[in-house]
Amino acid sequence: MQIKIGFIINPIAGMGGRVGLKGTDGVLKEAVKLGAKPISPKKALEMLEEFNSNFSNNNTVKWYTSKGVMGSNQLENVGIKDIEIVYETENRNTSSQDTKKICKRFLEKKVDLILFCGGDGTARDIFEIVGTKIPILGIPSGVKMHSGAFGINTSATAKILNDFIKKDLTIGEIEILDLDEDLYRKGEWNIRLFGIAKGIVEPTYIQVGKSIYETASDDEIKDELAEHIMEEIEENKDTLYLFGSGGTIDYIAKTMNLENTLLGIDAIYKKKIIGKDLNEKKILKLLEKYHKVKLILSPIGAQGFILGRGNLQLSPKVIKKIGIDNIIVISTPSKLANTPVLRVDTGDKKLDKKFAELEYIMVVTGYRFRRVVKVQTNNF
Amino acid sequence: MKRNPTAFLKREYDELVKNNLDWKLRILETGSAPHSVVDGKKVIMLCSNNYLNLSNHPKLIKAARESAQKYGAGSGSVRPIAGTLKIHMEVERRLAKFKGTESSLIYQTGFAANAGLIPQLAGKGDIIISDELNHGSIIDGVRLTKADRAIYKHRDMGDLEKVLLDADKKYNRILIITDGVFSMDGDIAPMDKIVKLGNKFGAMTYVDDAHGEGVIGPDGRGIGAHFGIGGKIDVEMGTFSKAYGVVGGLIAGSQDLINFAYNKSRTWLLSGSHPPSVAGAQLAAIDVLETEPKHVKNLWDNTKYFKKELNSMGFDTGESETPITPVIVGESSKAKELSSKLYDEEVFALPIVFPMVARDKARIRTMMNAGLNQEDLDFALDKFEKLGKKLDII
Repeated sequence: MQIKIGFIINPIAGMGGRVGLKGTDGVLKEAVKLGAKPISPKKALEMLEEFNSNFSNNNTVKWYTSKGVMGSNQLENVGIKDIEIVYETENRNTSSQDTKKICKRFLEKKVDLILFCGGDGTARDIFEIVGTKIPILGIPSGVKMHSGAFGINTSATAKILNDFIKKDLTIGEIEILDLDEDLYRKGEWNIRLFGIAKGIVEPTYIQVGKSIYETASDDEIKDELAEHIMEEIEENKDTLYLFGSGGTIDYIAKTMNLENTLLGIDAIYKKKIIGKDLNEKKILKLLEKYHKVKLILSPIGAQGFILGRGNLQLSPKVIKKIGIDNIIVISTPSKLANTPVLRVDTGDKKLDKKFAELEYIMVVTGYRFRRVVKVQTNNF
Repeated sequence: MKRNPTAFLKREYDELVKNNLDWKLRILETGSAPHSVVDGKKVIMLCSNNYLNLSNHPKLIKAARESAQKYGAGSGSVRPIAGTLKIHMEVERRLAKFKGTESSLIYQTGFAANAGLIPQLAGKGDIIISDELNHGSIIDGVRLTKADRAIYKHRDMGDLEKVLLDADKKYNRILIITDGVFSMDGDIAPMDKIVKLGNKFGAMTYVDDAHGEGVIGPDGRGIGAHFGIGGKIDVEMGTFSKAYGVVGGLIAGSQDLINFAYNKSRTWLLSGSHPPSVAGAQLAAIDVLETEPKHVKNLWDNTKYFKKELNSMGFDTGESETPITPVIVGESSKAKELSSKLYDEEVFALPIVFPMVARDKARIRTMMNAGLNQEDLDFALDKFEKLGKKLDII
């Protein structure tokens, strides 16, 4: 079988990092002035070399890419031959516009996967065009890499790519996170959740008989989680539930026929939405009125953050008011396979310390099914 | 609606075949013996659970024959109606004595024991805490309950304690379940520590010792005896189908447990009792274990030699502490190839591949047999060495 891979390098990704900028988006000239050197072509080459030399596969790969620095150079450097050029840059300096145009070509070519080399900004550009139509996999090379699209390093990415081609891995949901640049320019550091894309994930296996396993689809697992949460809500009729952001929680809300906000925080009381896409102020207002409150969270992004990335509405003040004991963390097992630790970064050292002292959180991974997962904070 | 009511049978089977997930049954033309004829080829058997070769022991065969002659071919009923023969009761009495527990109960199979008893031990408001690598029949038993479920990392007592600390606050009954000997790696659950934690939190302990019965502990008395905590595990569950060489599930524990179990386990209540020949052979198996220590000794001598030689050849045999010795080779395809080449060379051992074990830990699972002699072992080892080198494993 032939697998079609769209390949794209953002040649300037990561250049801002070494010179102390929070990204390279829009500040390339400044970065170059400060002495920044291209990183991503080298990272892409490393990954491709690893993929080419260490893995063999029955399925063949056809590559679709842009001519020159955004793709074909590095493919040719490692001796890949089956390449179709789908785009040529007009300018010497590449831009996010180029990335987007290439992605449009990938959509036309109906590639099975987009392999890109860059950071959160690149992932966002790609996601903006392809949405959930094509799964994406990132070779980590940016300044910011909070999104769930990236392998841990180049060789891990090579292995994921190979396992995907072998069909050992499956397609699931991943979060696209990035620094909110508008807020950042105003001096506020906020990693925002921009969307839920398709990515490559470890499937969940369920033992159905002696030595026989079946893979459960993400939706089957989410159905179980939904049943669990619905029972929980049923049993606690006078409790206000705050639903966190992300695909898993969104699925549960949809199962309950609630018009939930995928990327925001909603409040549910007696099985009805009473507040949508709430900001910190609105949440605090609700907390004054309702005294029994539970917060449902799911890990977001590559590093398994449950607080502090993509949901800054849940400020230290909000969390303290709700109480750590009233947080329910849910996750599909495939997500935990990628992020074996849960991370917390509330921005409040004392509160972070309270999470650190927990050491672990019992995470709901199926209907009435829980497991221990370590919790980590940045400071402790 | 016009439907074809049985079309799914073929469709689903074809799907299994297409994905290479169907069972390809291997036919033994002999009985299960150290030297068996499998699919027409004489092989050294390294994947049977007949660890002590008791299925071929003259005393067991004689007992089965005599019991059939005396009491007939079948038992006539389920145990609770009219299917409890004196010989069934005798097996249970002798088994309890052998295992050092107050009482015992025989189920139709090991699976019937887990699937019948576990759902009765916990219900709504309770929690069952399970090792992540527990056998499928435990998982099925757990699925039948309305209890909450939590898992802890394989043999990780720190993790188990964390789950217990959390469960202690929220649940009524707590039940900890683990395999005794884990069938994929051959490692042993730290039952002494599990019992200690169980006592600390008032949690009930349940061990599935299918691969430990007749194998570990003095004279093969099982995991309780192995750790010197006989009678302290709330439920010792096991089987007659492996080292004991017959068939049937068993539980051993207090009289209270047994009274509860046979009144509540639906699998036990609703399936026919063992034929007298089976009960007779079970009784003889206990006899042999009590009076002929050489079988267990042979098994362990063989195991130690086989493991030592494999290791010195450079094979990775993992964390095994028992006669289950995995030969870890890496990729699934390599494990399958090694198994098939071993069969060509007259050694029968099956591959275990992902997702039963981690992707890069595919293996040949060998199970030692007390009936193999030095010459047999050297023959098998020679083939392992030759093929291991050929396939670049060692």
